[in-house]
Amino acid sequence: MQQTAFIGQAATRRRLLGGALMAGGALAVPGLVRGQVLGTPSLVPMRLSPDQLVDMKCCLRPLRAAGPNLGTESVGGKLVVHNYGHGGSGWSLSWGSAEVAVGKALASLPRSVAVVGCGIIGLTSAVVAQRYGLDVTIYARDQIARTRSFRASGSYTPGSRIALVEPAGPQFPDLWEQMARHSWRMFRTMLGLPGEPVRFGDSYAVSDAPIERRTWPADPAITESFATAGLPRQNSEFAHLDSRIADIVPQAVPLPPGENPFGMPYATRSSQMHFNFPAYAAILLDEFFGRGGKFVNRVFHRPGELADLPEDVVIHATGYAARDFWGDRTVIPVRGQTGWLVPQPGVNYSLRYRNVSALSKGDGIVIMNNNPDLGDMLGVGDSMELPNRAPIEEAMATLAAIFARSAGAAA
Amino acid sequence: MSARTGQLVAALALVALGTGAALAQSRGGTGTGRYTAEQAAAGAQVYAINCAMCHGARMEGRGEIPPLTGRFVANWAGRPVADLFAYVSRAMPQHAPGSLAPEQNAHLVALLLQANGVPAGARELPADEAALQRITFDPPGPAL
Ligand SMILES: Cc1cc2nc3c(=O)[nH]c(=O)nc-3n(C[C@H](O)[C@H](O)[C@H](O)COP(=O)(O)OP(=O)(O)OC[C@H]3O[C@@H](n4cnc5c(N)ncnc54)[C@H](O)[C@@H]3O)c2cc1C
Ligand code: HEC
Repeated sequence: MQQTAFIGQAATRRRLLGGALMAGGALAVPGLVRGQVLGTPSLVPMRLSPDQLVDMKCCLRPLRAAGPNLGTESVGGKLVVHNYGHGGSGWSLSWGSAEVAVGKALASLPRSVAVVGCGIIGLTSAVVAQRYGLDVTIYARDQIARTRSFRASGSYTPGSRIALVEPAGPQFPDLWEQMARHSWRMFRTMLGLPGEPVRFGDSYAVSDAPIERRTWPADPAITESFATAGLPRQNSEFAHLDSRIADIVPQAVPLPPGENPFGMPYATRSSQMHFNFPAYAAILLDEFFGRGGKFVNRVFHRPGELADLPEDVVIHATGYAARDFWGDRTVIPVRGQTGWLVPQPGVNYSLRYRNVSALSKGDGIVIMNNNPDLGDMLGVGDSMELPNRAPIEEAMATLAAIFARSAGAAA
Repeated sequence: MSARTGQLVAALALVALGTGAALAQSRGGTGTGRYTAEQAAAGAQVYAINCAMCHGARMEGRGEIPPLTGRFVANWAGRPVADLFAYVSRAMPQHAPGSLAPEQNAHLVALLLQANGVPAGARELPADEAALQRITFDPPGPAL
């Protein structure tokens, strides 16, 4: 067989019933995950050479200290329902958050609503409002493909940089759980649709040492906090809520040696839900326009301008921009960046090793390099929204070495 | 075209520009030379150091970052220059918002006006939000 080596190939070949199939049949075509009957799963290795890097994106997560703003207020006679400040969880909480915001809008019995902002939060809010029978106009500077939402990485991470424990208060975890569960249910209604807007993939973590969940006890030497500094100062200030939905979200399981496709001593596997941005946005936009929605390209300069809109109810979803537009200084920038490789359709898994990860989706392989010692603090307070190439190339090289090692171990 | 019809066309064009332009005339729009070429030149220096890395040497923008010409006019024209001045003062440069002095921000606004086809003149653009509230950003409009 002259094709690209499959990771875990040797072991699989030994175990495969009817080895003749391997000789030249469809299963041996590179680019397809090989069928496998028990034993070590064989994976198509990711192609991680520098020529595959076709884009780099940088983005600011809108971490709001108290969690997303879902409050209401009156501006020039309009009811404004806020829906902004979703940190590193905007995609993941989009349906649940829209349900809460639209519910508050509906309570005032409008016929139509304006949505300001067309990122994942604004667009989802608009579609949810339409599903309840309202006429909706979106007003925004940019449509979703040009927003920060398209510069995320795209997995179901509802607890990522979503709030700080203290300012969020004791009620927030229940609201978060409600939004996370509702979103999860809605995403599942999008599985298997053409273009695969939502899909599950295997998610591997590999390590040289046994893999343990890292915890962040409060460091008493750090005396400042959000309350005194306006910014969180350590990881323990962040809300960590994921365990509340561990009953529905697949958790990592350690892989025994026979099931570990990588040439690394320790590995875990879980199933991760991810979002293909172009396919997902196309489906939402089709539904929005199909239901008669209108899009108006418009920039608002001051909250008072909302009073000029013809609609009586406004859902405000400007994301990080709300920090300036609404003067909400509790919205904290958390910088993050991703490298994007040419999509590899035969690869449907993600791999993480220490600080670096590669996530294969329909719209590309997403590379990230996150210093593990910083945890949630990485990028906090940093609003420099330009990508930096070196850490991405470094991540690619680190992961490429793991694939080389795994291929060697399998041979 | 006679001089009279020419005037009429110009007047109609003004009406066509909408209430923004009409308002601009009554309150003093940028069409009448409200910043100096020196201010714009000073603005270009501030821009090169503080803004160009993100918005581009030609203000062309990039994936992450909006351009400061073209659709920029649609976003900001017809409104008091104070809005633009306040936004730049508060929110930019994005990695260090609010870090520039009022004069520098006025120079940057002068540069933005110049880059978008607004003519310079003899009067200085004030570095003061209240004064700028009375000056409207006139769109340069279609070449008449
Ligand atoms: C590196 C990185 C990775 C991430 N990965 C994930 C992930 O895997 N999963 C996940 O769930 N989340 C992830 N996130 C978080 C997610 O990207 C955000 O929470 C989400 O994009 C917020 O969406 P939004 O609609 O509120 O804001 P935005 O996408 O910023 O949209 C704001 C909208 O408002 C408009 N607007 C702004 N100001 C004005 C104005 N003055 N007038 C008119 N219109 C205006 C904009 O044009 C835009 O249409 C990630 C973030 C980063 C940075
Ligand atoms: C770190 C990158 C960065 C730097 C540096 C920067 N900007 Fe920006 N600028 C942005 C981003 C990103 C936006 C969009 C903001 C948003 O959506 O929240 C923006 C928006 C703007 C806008 C509004 C554009 C529109 O059409 O609505 C203006 C005006 C502006 N910047 C001017 C400046 C000026 C002047 C400077 C230099 C003092 C500057 N910027 C420096 C990133 C930057």
